[in-house]
Amino acid sequence: MALYTLDSRQVAAGVKGREFSAEEYIYQLLERIEKVEPKVNAFVSVSKEALDEARVIDKKIRDGEQVGALAGVAVSIKDNICTKGIKTTCASKMLETFVPPYDATVVKRLRDVGAIVIGKVNLDEFAMGSTTEFSRYGATRNPWDVSRVPGGSSGGSAASVAALECTVSLGSDTGGSVRCPASFCSTVGLKPTYGLISRYGLVSYANSIEQIGPIGRTVSDVVLVLNAIAGADENDHTTVGGKPAHSLRQRKGLRVGFVREFIEGAEPRVAKVIHKAADTLAKQGCGCEETSLASVQYALASYYTIAMAEASSNLARYDNVRYGFDLDPEGYEWNSYFAKARSNFGEEVKRRVIVGSYVLSSGYYGKYYLKAQQVRSLIKRELKALFKKYDILIGPTMPILPFEIGEKIADPLRMYLVDINTVVANLAGMPAMSVPAGFTDGLPVGLQIMADEFQEQTMLDAAYLFEQAAKVQRSPDL
Amino acid sequence: MVTKEEVKHLSWLVRIDLSDDELERYTLQIEEIIKYLDKLDNIQLEHVKPIVAKKRLSDLRPDEPAGFEGNVLGTKYRKDGFVKGPRMV
Repeated sequence: MALYTLDSRQVAAGVKGREFSAEEYIYQLLERIEKVEPKVNAFVSVSKEALDEARVIDKKIRDGEQVGALAGVAVSIKDNICTKGIKTTCASKMLETFVPPYDATVVKRLRDVGAIVIGKVNLDEFAMGSTTEFSRYGATRNPWDVSRVPGGSSGGSAASVAALECTVSLGSDTGGSVRCPASFCSTVGLKPTYGLISRYGLVSYANSIEQIGPIGRTVSDVVLVLNAIAGADENDHTTVGGKPAHSLRQRKGLRVGFVREFIEGAEPRVAKVIHKAADTLAKQGCGCEETSLASVQYALASYYTIAMAEASSNLARYDNVRYGFDLDPEGYEWNSYFAKARSNFGEEVKRRVIVGSYVLSSGYYGKYYLKAQQVRSLIKRELKALFKKYDILIGPTMPILPFEIGEKIADPLRMYLVDINTVVANLAGMPAMSVPAGFTDGLPVGLQIMADEFQEQTMLDAAYLFEQAAKVQRSPDL
Repeated sequence: MVTKEEVKHLSWLVRIDLSDDELERYTLQIEEIIKYLDKLDNIQLEHVKPIVAKKRLSDLRPDEPAGFEGNVLGTKYRKDGFVKGPRMV
């Protein structure tokens, strides 16, 4: 039996019921990784300890000890989330030797319920990008068509899940970085409400908008991982109290708002799939109607202003002195050493740090940053009003299909524009997810579902309802 | 209008050396990006308050240092138990 095709519940049940061992399952995954990695390039590093960890789980079960809800389940972790003893590079030369002395809260919580970290996966350097092309470790390729991008910046996460190299993954989402690759790789990806999941151990890019989020092949997998990692953490003061538990529910009669601005800019092939998805929800008894979110037009300018401003501030800490790549400080003057070392950031990171310092410059602050923050309020207010009328809002996650590798890399602004539908949720701090909606010309299309703050359960109800009715889930030939 | 001199100055402020090629390319690209961000200038926002954090300082945990065990520094450039950095003067 191909154990690597199983979902989280099946793996945990199989391991606990001793139908197969965690060791067998991990061994099969490692073989699978070896086979498909030359085509996909999702991993930055594969864990050397995964098999040993699996044996520990197996022994616990043999000895009758308690194991958690994700016993044995292999999870890949985006390489900007700290893993104790495993290199965490952010796909950057600046962190090529960085080995964290601690696990991020999310990683610790996954380990606590028996999950096994199978490896660290690729991203755009410091999570800045929408294609996973801006990586020191080369571009990750889309498992559905390896000449195309997997989306980004959590491209390694989504690609590794779609290519059956792990069962679930953790990504991070600053402006769509979980949902974009989830959409492009036909996987389920969720960005929670700001404050639902601890960011402790996530390498900061734009703290006020980013969240860690799970990616899986099914809604069920995403629910399991979400439950394991969500909840208050004293090491991240932006987390909110309590420990929520989400479930898979059969729920009918949801009120659905179809956002006109999200579909208007979409390419016709994508729009067709999304219209069909709305019909599917309507057939399931949801009340679907078109609605408008006018402030979308300012969302992207607001998002990039805030993200770049925060990036320029967050990345100021990389001086290459306490950790970094090999550059002898001998003979350098203080400032020239930093400027020399920091010239080793990649193309996109350098661009964003410089633009970030531009918008924060004295005289420009009120023109850009302050306005961007006001736009956030405006968007949130508009969304709050819509969520009085609707349980969820839908539209295409991405307005376009996965494109060819290299197609947009030389034109940053054109690249930024693809994030138009995803950034809204980050700015408002509200939850959003992408579920596979279908295929057109063999390429995946994702349906974005948004809900009000801390209404993840409603969003998951809609996603589950759609998943069960649409039956889109399948795996690529590799 | 974003000028080469501005980009050069900003790259110094953020301590990133740029090659001549980069300076040329970034100036054009940043000009285009800033032009896009200028959209923000055309919105009437006088009565909109920016989003602020809701947490109070009293909600935070005590600010006590919590160190890590073992060698946490990833550099081989050291002297007398200290990390070696570039010359200040």
